[in-house]
Amino acid sequence: MKPKILLILLVTGLFLVTSCSKYPPTSDRLLEDLVVYTKYDTSIKFSQFKTFSIVDSISYISQTDSGKVLDANAQAVLNQISQNMTSRGYILVNKNQNPDLGINVGVVKNVNVQVYYPGWYWGYPAYYPPWYWGGGSYYYPYYPVYITSYASGTLLIDMVDRKNITPDGKMYIRWNAYIRALLTNDHTLNQIKESIDQAFTQTKAFSN
Amino acid sequence: MVSILFAGFAQGQDKPSIGYTPSSYYTFSWNTTFTLGDFNKWVSNGSPAGFDFGGRYLIMNGLTAGFNISWQRVSQSYGYETFYSNDGEAITATNYRFTWMVPFQGVIAYHFMPDKLVSPYIGLGIGGDYMEHHLLVQEYDIYNTRWDFSLTPEIGALVKFGKFSNWGGLIAFNYKWTTNKIDFTNYFKSKEIMMLNLKVGIVLIVR
Repeated sequence: MKPKILLILLVTGLFLVTSCSKYPPTSDRLLEDLVVYTKYDTSIKFSQFKTFSIVDSISYISQTDSGKVLDANAQAVLNQISQNMTSRGYILVNKNQNPDLGINVGVVKNVNVQVYYPGWYWGYPAYYPPWYWGGGSYYYPYYPVYITSYASGTLLIDMVDRKNITPDGKMYIRWNAYIRALLTNDHTLNQIKESIDQAFTQTKAFSN
Repeated sequence: MVSILFAGFAQGQDKPSIGYTPSSYYTFSWNTTFTLGDFNKWVSNGSPAGFDFGGRYLIMNGLTAGFNISWQRVSQSYGYETFYSNDGEAITATNYRFTWMVPFQGVIAYHFMPDKLVSPYIGLGIGGDYMEHHLLVQEYDIYNTRWDFSLTPEIGALVKFGKFSNWGGLIAFNYKWTTNKIDFTNYFKSKEIMMLNLKVGIVLIVR
């Protein structure tokens, strides 16, 4: 009978491994797919803003280095953002023409990067934690939106309010977008541009 | 439960088998789930991720009473969708839904031919479940947890592997109705949770 007991234990173990685990395997859960996350400030009306300016390069940060990306892909990304703004009626102006909005763009290759500081854009305090999804009783993010333990890229777009500068000279970020997984293998420039379009499309503030 | 199982096994070894009719038996089954109704709109895939442990005790003339405890999970991937919160957030991503269930029931079953090698039965389980319904939008895990009341009519057959064998097989099919609900406010709501289960397993027979 001993082999039968072993058989029972084996079968039991197999079932336990395959079934008892509450969460399905991560390989089933598409964690490397593109994600477009946006958040806007619901306390203001975006219709008050008429003009914008955008950076001329994309900031880049990883665990080992940082810098600026100036290549054709970066320009395509910046152009796509500008096109989305102008198609919504905002006027692109130079930085020295006192725009209502300033747009900063960064890329993080976030292999265990814990906190992203996109730098200082005309002196604003850049850190703005966007990673709590809702306040309902059953919203439990178990990772912040761009802190992950696997290699993927995140494009960050921040929109800074230069029209309503605080008395002490600080500026609020009124909108930000995080587009994740850009640096994984199969995402084309077109997909990235579509994701930028999606970031604007899913922001209700731009359609009000 | 495991100690009960092996206590029964030891009893089965110590005493000579005296006939086809078991005094009790214990089942360990692979459980495949097929969702129905609103539950099927939540996850339409059938799922083999589940197992069930049960015990039955002969009361009289083929009538048995016992219990079942199970683990089950149904899951499905979905394509890109956009989810909105009330405070200006939106996320577009592929998503993944799953429900994890721990059912527990008392069971009454009637065996039509308890003394035969193949012993078909009908039964009714009454009990409850603990369920978690998860919506995974990439890193975000949004979920409901609920307890419920459940009813499970079942048909099946106990198949003894030999005339006096302490081992057998089980095949059973049941319909399960529960008062459980799924409620993701603006995204998905269900009324009740229903499913079909197919169980195939091994049986330890005690005479």
